[in-house]
Amino acid sequence: MPLLAVEELSVAFDTEDGAVTVLDRVGFHLEAGETLGLVGESGCGKSVTALAVMGLLPKPAGRVIGGRVVFAGQDLIDAPAEQLRRIRGNRISMIFQEPMTALNPVQRIGRQLAESITLHEPAATAAVTRRSLALLEQVGIPAAEQRLSEYPHQLSGGMRQRVMIAMALASSPDVLIADEPTTALDVTIQAQILEVLRTLQRDTGMAVLFITHDLGVIAELCSRVVVMYAGRVAEQAPVEPLFRAPRHPYTRGLLASIPRLQDEPKTHLTTIPGTVPAIGELPPGCRFANRCPLAQALCSERTPMLETLDANRTVACHRWREAVAS
Amino acid sequence: MTSYFVRRFLLILPTFLGVTVLVFTLTRLVPGGPIERMLNEAAMAGADNAGATSGYDGHGAGALSDQQIEELKAYYGFDKPVLVAYADWLGKVLTLDLGTSTRYSEPVWETVKGRLPISIFYGVATLILTYGVCVPLGIVKAIRHKTAFDNLSSAVVFFGYAIPSYVVAIALLTGFAANLEWFPLGGFVSDDFDDLSGLEKAGDVASHAVLPLLSYMAGSFAVTTLLMKNSLMDNLAAEYVRTAIAKGMNFRAAVFGHALRNSLIPIATSFGNNITLIVTGSFLIEKIFNIDGFGLLGFESLVERDYPVVMGILVISSLLFLIGNILSDVCVALTDPRVKFGSGESGQ
Repeated sequence: MPLLAVEELSVAFDTEDGAVTVLDRVGFHLEAGETLGLVGESGCGKSVTALAVMGLLPKPAGRVIGGRVVFAGQDLIDAPAEQLRRIRGNRISMIFQEPMTALNPVQRIGRQLAESITLHEPAATAAVTRRSLALLEQVGIPAAEQRLSEYPHQLSGGMRQRVMIAMALASSPDVLIADEPTTALDVTIQAQILEVLRTLQRDTGMAVLFITHDLGVIAELCSRVVVMYAGRVAEQAPVEPLFRAPRHPYTRGLLASIPRLQDEPKTHLTTIPGTVPAIGELPPGCRFANRCPLAQALCSERTPMLETLDANRTVACHRWREAVAS
Repeated sequence: MTSYFVRRFLLILPTFLGVTVLVFTLTRLVPGGPIERMLNEAAMAGADNAGATSGYDGHGAGALSDQQIEELKAYYGFDKPVLVAYADWLGKVLTLDLGTSTRYSEPVWETVKGRLPISIFYGVATLILTYGVCVPLGIVKAIRHKTAFDNLSSAVVFFGYAIPSYVVAIALLTGFAANLEWFPLGGFVSDDFDDLSGLEKAGDVASHAVLPLLSYMAGSFAVTTLLMKNSLMDNLAAEYVRTAIAKGMNFRAAVFGHALRNSLIPIATSFGNNITLIVTGSFLIEKIFNIDGFGLLGFESLVERDYPVVMGILVISSLLFLIGNILSDVCVALTDPRVKFGSGESGQ
């Protein structure tokens, strides 16, 4: 049994034009100790998936309209608030994209860190301080003692994201959901944060759901990948086979779009033509059809089902065989 | 930060001088004044006398001789150029002498002091009620945004805001004091106040205060309540609140433990100015409820051209206002650690 299983998860948001389905029967699973990448363009539903798993969808606009999120044998969607609260930050933690705004600007780091410790395990002040210092050192923050008495605005973006990670680690969670944790940081800091996450994952054995739009990061960090497109899962596979032999035309397009060092300088960058259809204007059938080089009439009529190719590969495409052949 | 506040305090001096020079000069330029008033009174008295004892060849219209007028001018300091007179006045103010009221013929400070207990009482009561009601109300409205409670309280608050406070005052007075007789018709205390016991005295002041306070509050509720509500809603949507919930906090704890202090920052920006509450007061409401507060004093001293009192009130209120601004800055610095006045090392 997987540690975390997302099954047929559908999420709707209320907008001024009525309810819009933003996640359509999304499914994947996360085994204990593995790092799963969730990849896709902006607006494809990656973050919404993460928020739905955490029960953090913005209320009252967003709501789960179908499916289950099963963590350690228990469905989180219908779980009572108090039960969910005990899981959040304790067994499933989350870090966010914007370290600049994710910390409370008027509270000292020490207090915010102490809070994530004592929320799940009340302890004496001295013990909490010791644990806080250990956590900050674990994520590579120098002069940890001094940081405890500082405010978020006194820290750089990279340091704040490290603090966020330290807070997420406070209760040694089984699952860490990282929602684009390096997107807002510059490249060198990105590499440092990824290194921190990789080391922590190895040392603690927690499972990581890593959300990103950066395939390079996926290749570096993850063992398996789920590719999402317009609120649906397009393909999932272990990292190496996915990069070597992508099955879904969308995945192929994404991989072809990565510029390569060996390319002739100043050649045009490859792109996938068109844009992701807007939420609320989703076409029937395959949502990638209008951008797909292999699309046929069938693609715009019938929604492709997820097809299991082998033990750990699935793809949702009517024409994946042609894609492989081309 | 200390040097910033020292600088701010030093800046009070030129501002204060500017305000007082301006108003002092204005009192000299506008027509009318204590001497004209005396001439009028004398003329009226003369006319009355003339009517009563006909044939008496009194002073009539020219009630005072030129020499007497000159003496009066010298007495009030009108014989000197404006700036010299201002310097004289300022010199006295520096020795804490605000001059003598031309209307009451008593020191200005005595006149002002007599109104202080009333004004402080209403100022402090308004302050406590405003923050004691508006802040909690704003919090509840933010949490229950778009519920029946939120909509209904908004309607009430805006209704009060839309009606001029003197209309509210008259409506309350007619309804609850004149018709229902639940409350006294006006005044600060009853005539037999001195004979009452301690508890009865408190009750007496309270029963006199209900209607005026309601009139004051009706209009001022909307601003603070809605400021609080919107500020808290902004912060409830902030990412750090989501972080707190992701850490395993329940929503209520996240509201009070994280969002509240952040949402008080806009409220703090005007908090220090509340110090001026003790010298303000709506002249109309004071008039309607027959309360001898600062509003009425200020208005009457202007109408009666009682310039020493006008200047005295100006000195007190402008000083309080300037100090209030600095206090507001202190409040902001206390609530928001990102604010570092005057030392260029602030975060963002």
